Amino acid sequence: MEETNQLEQKKKAEYRQNLFIFLALVLLTLIEFFVAINLDDPRVLLVIIALVKAGLIVQFFMHIYRLWRPEEHE
Amino acid sequence: MSAATDIAPVHEAHEPTYAEATKRNRLGLWIFFISEIFLFGALLASRFYLWGNTRPDLDQNIGLITTGILLISSFFMAWAESAIKYNDRKAFLRNMLITAALGTLFIIGVVGVEWGGELKPTDGTYGAVFYIMTGMHALHVISGVILILINWNIARKGGYSSKEHWGIEGAAIYWHYIDVVWVFFYPALYLIGTPVSIH
Repeated sequence: MEETNQLEQKKKAEYRQNLFIFLALVLLTLIEFFVAINLDDPRVLLVIIALVKAGLIVQFFMHIYRLWRPEEHE
Repeated sequence: MSAATDIAPVHEAHEPTYAEATKRNRLGLWIFFISEIFLFGALLASRFYLWGNTRPDLDQNIGLITTGILLISSFFMAWAESAIKYNDRKAFLRNMLITAALGTLFIIGVVGVEWGGELKPTDGTYGAVFYIMTGMHALHVISGVILILINWNIARKGGYSSKEHWGIEGAAIYWHYIDVVWVFFYPALYLIGTPVSIH
């Protein structure tokens, strides 16, 4: 029973994290759009925003850290 | 018996466990992504070399909407992967289908709507670069949708479990990779540079 509760909590925490990352990506995309519309030369800022977005996806959605995680965690 | 033959071999041949195989598969997939970075990187480089600080005057609404659709699809894909990990099969199957549907919608937005606009492949460097970048990306989206549907069908028949679901993980990583490519393509095609009217 205890184990089931813990698993359920872990699942909810992971679902919540996915949602937060998604909302962060939406926010960054909107910032990207408004920066491009309103600034004269937004190139540097747009590259920085794209790198942050890519970093979030690679870390939290693609789970790159699993590459060097020990096998017992599989 | 000589001393040499008494020494047991250090690495005996054995069937890899599922965890070992998954670790190898994962590494293989990431090595594949490195090769893909060269492909998409070359396309991005050609865009900046040929267009410089200009871009074709594309429909900003379509650009933002298709980007949003791909972003939402990534969220549902991540949800699907988490769901199979915790044996939530109902959420998993539903979210896989939603991801495939959103991927199809993205294709319709780019190929069906944007390709039907004023800019044609024959419009010099603007047409050539735009169509090769969006076309190559769309090809990956189509293969991603097929991969998702194959995995959905396997799971629907009872395949995969909370412990053994490399197929799902691989498809999810591939789908997010497609999203990462678009993260760079979207500003390069729609946001950076002075808009130039082609016709």
